[in-house]
Amino acid sequence: MSESIDPVDRLLATARGDAAADPFRVTGVMMQYYHACERELWFASRQLEIDRENPAVVRGTRVDETAYGGRESKQLGMIAIDLLEDGRVVEVKPSSKLVEPARMQLAYYLWYLDRVAGVQRDGVLAHPRERERETVELTDDLAERVEDAIRGIHDLVTEESPPPAEEKPFCEACAYHDFCWC
Amino acid sequence: MDRNYHVFSNGRLERHEDTLRLATEDGEKKHIPIENAEAVYLHGQIDFNTRLLSFLNDNGIAAHVFGWNDYYSGSVMPERGQTSGRTVVSQVRAYDDPAHRRDLAAAFVRGSIHNMRANVAYYDGRSADLDATLERLDTVADSVAEADDVEELMGVEATARKAYYGTFDSVLRDEFELGTREYNPPPNEVNSLLSFGNALVYANCVSAIRATALDPAVSYLHEPGERRYSLSLDLADLFKPLLTDRVLFRLVNRRQITTDDFETELGECLLTERGRQTFSKEFEETLERTVEHPELNRKVSYQYLLRLEAYKLKKHLLAGEAYEPFRRWW
Repeated sequence: MSESIDPVDRLLATARGDAAADPFRVTGVMMQYYHACERELWFASRQLEIDRENPAVVRGTRVDETAYGGRESKQLGMIAIDLLEDGRVVEVKPSSKLVEPARMQLAYYLWYLDRVAGVQRDGVLAHPRERERETVELTDDLAERVEDAIRGIHDLVTEESPPPAEEKPFCEACAYHDFCWC
Repeated sequence: MDRNYHVFSNGRLERHEDTLRLATEDGEKKHIPIENAEAVYLHGQIDFNTRLLSFLNDNGIAAHVFGWNDYYSGSVMPERGQTSGRTVVSQVRAYDDPAHRRDLAAAFVRGSIHNMRANVAYYDGRSADLDATLERLDTVADSVAEADDVEELMGVEATARKAYYGTFDSVLRDEFELGTREYNPPPNEVNSLLSFGNALVYANCVSAIRATALDPAVSYLHEPGERRYSLSLDLADLFKPLLTDRVLFRLVNRRQITTDDFETELGECLLTERGRQTFSKEFEETLERTVEHPELNRKVSYQYLLRLEAYKLKKHLLAGEAYEPFRRWW
C-alpha cells in the first residue's frame, strides 16, 4: 500500500495527522544518522543496543545539558528543536567532527518548519566547544537534498537487514560500536 | 567493565549512606564500592531488606544467590534498562522454526567443542599425550554438521564433553581425580570444583544476557524452561573451558587448592569457605584478563566476552547477520 506513495508525501500526511493508518516519521536524529552511518540508523530504527556507559554518549548528554544552561528543547510534531534564538533555529553539536550530518539535521528542521508549520526560519549550527557558529539557509537545493534523504531513510528502515559494517573515522565513539562490530 | 563481589561470610548486607556495607556475624564491617560493582555473589547466609534491593536496583547491580552447598539458587536482577517486545518475538520465532533452532544449537555445540579442544591442545605435550583426544574431538566436531535436530546435537555435545573430561586426570596432579562427571552431589574434589565454577559461569551469563533485552528463558540447545534461565546454559557451555576449567587446572596444579580445601560428608564433597574464596578470587582475576579483540580493535576482558556473546546473538536475531559462536582465538 505504502509502496506507491512518495515517502515525502507520507511524512507530510503523518505530520498533518492524516496518515494514522500508515504513518511515516523521520526525527532529526534519524536525519543525522542517515548522513553519518546508515547502519547506525538501521539499528536505531529497531531500538537496538545503545551503550549508555559509552563515554561519547555520556559526554554528548552532558554537553546537551550544560552548554546552554536551563534551555529546553521544543517538541514540534516529529522534530525537537534545540533552541530558538532571535528567531533562528539553533542546533547544538558537541563537536564539529560530524558537521555534515548536523547540517542536514538542521536543514531538515528548517524544511519541516516551512512545509508543515508554514514558518520560514534560518538556522545556526553551534559548536559550544569550538565557539563557532555557522548560518544555514533553506535554499531550493538544500530542500531537495532533504527530500531525497527522507526517501533514502524510508528505503533503509524498511530493509530486512542493516547495510554491512563500514569502518568510519568516528566508529570508535559510536554508541553502537561494540554491537555493530562484534 | 565493573567487578563482581563475593560474600562468603554470614551476616547482613545493607545500604549504608550511599554505599554497600557488609556486617558480618563476628562484628566486622566491610564496604563494597557500589560505583564499580557489576554484581554481588552471596554465598553465605545474608540478611537484607527492601531498602538494599532498591539501592542495588538504582545502581543496576545484580545479586546472585547461592544456596546451601553452593548451588545457584537465583538472582535478584535490576529492573531492565531496556525491554524490547521485538527482541523477545524474534527470539521465540527462531526457537519455533526447527531449522533455525537447529542451526543456533549447532553453533553453540561447534563453539563449545572448539573451546574444549583449545584446552586439550594447550595441555597436549605439556603434561600428557592427548593426541588421541584431539583427534576424537575433531571427529565429533565434524559430526555436528550431520546432526539433524537438537536432540542429536545434545548427544554430540555430550560425546565431546565426555572425551574432554577424559583428559582431566592426565592434566591434574595425582591427588586429584575426576573419574566421571557427576553432579548432585559431587562425589569428589574435581567434580565439586567443576560444579562451583560452572555455577559462577552460569550466573555471569545471566548478568550478560540481562544487559540486553534478550529473555534468559528462551534458549536453543537446552530446552526452554528446563531450568530457569536456559539461555544462560546455552552461553555458559561456550565459556566453561575458558573460565571454570582453566582456573581449576591452574589452582590444583599450582597447589593453591589442596585436599584440605574440601569437606566430604555422606558422599558429598564440597569446598570449604576458604576453598571457595581461593577459587572465586582466581576466577575473578581470570574474568579481568584481557585479550586483543580482532574486530573491536582493542583489548577486552574475558567478562566482556560474555556480554559480546549476548550482543552477537541479539544482532543475529534482529538483523539477520550470521551468528558465529565464541571460539577462543588466542
